[in-house]
Amino acid sequence: MTDKIIEVKGLEKHYNGGKIKALNGITTSIQKGEVVVVIGPSGSGKSTFLRCLNLLEEPTGGQVIFEGVDITDTKVDINIHRQKMGMVFQHFNLFPHMTILKNMIIGPMKLQKKSEAEATKLAMDLLARVGLEDRANAYPSQLSGGQKQRIAIVRALCMQPEVMLFDEPTSALDPEMVGEVLEVMKQLAKEEMTMVVVTHEMGFAKEVASRVLFLADGLLVEDAPPAELFGNPKSQRLQSFLAKVL
Amino acid sequence: MSSVILAVSEKMGQWLQTTPGWMQSAPESIQTIGYQFYQTWMLNDNWNYFTNGLKVTALATIGALVIGVILGVLVAVIRSAHDSSRKKPSLLLRIFNAVSKLYITIIRGTPMIVQLLIMSYVILVPRGQDELLRCAIITFGINSGAYVAEIIRSGIQSVDVGQMEAGRSLGFNYGQTMRYIIIPQAIKNILPALGNELITLVKETSVATVIGLNDLTKGAQIIVSKHYTTMVSYISLAAIYLVIVLVLTKLLGMFERRLKNSDR
Repeated sequence: MTDKIIEVKGLEKHYNGGKIKALNGITTSIQKGEVVVVIGPSGSGKSTFLRCLNLLEEPTGGQVIFEGVDITDTKVDINIHRQKMGMVFQHFNLFPHMTILKNMIIGPMKLQKKSEAEATKLAMDLLARVGLEDRANAYPSQLSGGQKQRIAIVRALCMQPEVMLFDEPTSALDPEMVGEVLEVMKQLAKEEMTMVVVTHEMGFAKEVASRVLFLADGLLVEDAPPAELFGNPKSQRLQSFLAKVL
Repeated sequence: MSSVILAVSEKMGQWLQTTPGWMQSAPESIQTIGYQFYQTWMLNDNWNYFTNGLKVTALATIGALVIGVILGVLVAVIRSAHDSSRKKPSLLLRIFNAVSKLYITIIRGTPMIVQLLIMSYVILVPRGQDELLRCAIITFGINSGAYVAEIIRSGIQSVDVGQMEAGRSLGFNYGQTMRYIIIPQAIKNILPALGNELITLVKETSVATVIGLNDLTKGAQIIVSKHYTTMVSYISLAAIYLVIVLVLTKLLGMFERRLKNSDR
């Protein structure tokens, strides 16, 4: 058993029969316990890359191998593997017709056949860790953006995933709420959760990432630890990108 | 014709003698209305035509609603699953989708009354009131299903795509995500439109008189055929429908408010 948790081989995503190439052959791998931050200009395919990892977008070519299983194979039941890949979205996507607690326990109860008491205990422990245990019976519309995103993170954690995928988790937040969400993510990283994070927060990338991937035009342009990637960018593309964002 | 009028006015004279004094001194038009009212409601316990008809109308509406909603959800889920799948849908799904589209096209493209005639004289050929009622329920149910399907489909589309993605990313399959996450939100969004459909259905069941179903409207027609009391009988009929619709509107309003309270 290798310690590679996700292996990506020649990943392609084309739209309109190949006219638009969002991803044009990406090969990389993610080790257990790694925090991989994906950066790149808009339209570079970084969100598409992330969404291909749990097949929310179906790749048009290449393979995604999760825990040794090629999940792009149509014979594989993707729903089982998705249970082990938590996902956090830019727009939170909490279920507005359920309380916070219900949002968190519906997955474990219906999919992992946990009892309500068991799932509730797990959910309350997680809520306490993000300091929101008093909001368990509130509805999503009663929470601030930062609170919603923290709930979205613990909702995904409630499934006890092997890896967490973050799709621009702070992009839809008011500036003063970004910190509280990043804090939760840093905590997770410290606990050695495997994470793949698409973000524009360069500070977070520098501080927390074990590796940074720079994507541009559907290609993986650079792949290095943050100190090296930010300190000594090799490609012209990355240099001009960093010049604009830093 | 004149002998009929004579007979009526003779009976009216007899009736007038049994009523309070002010009725005898009232203008003739008031007396006529009063007498028609008496004939429509009280004479020979004619109100039974209304109450029995009301029962049939209620049964037809409820039965049709149940069939309509079941059919509607089914067709809406098939249509949404077909339209939202990114890959080419499976053959089975494409066949179901084609059948659903054909069904909606035919039902929405032909008049209700024609559908009833075809159902009762060509397909089911009911005998007796029980079979007639069953035939009406099936026809109205199938008809309503097509409209409910389009209402529910619009409700499903009104739910943010992120909800489907969030459900799928937790590991729910398409059906589970629909059931636990999309449909409950869709229903809330379409409740007003669904309420309208129910109200339309109540009124539309009156069309079943053309196949001889003894519903509320038929009850009024029977009274009119016996006593020629067109004005009071038909206006009474209209008033009864109006009251039913008002009560339903009120109930639906209360129901909607309760649902809204659940997520503020």
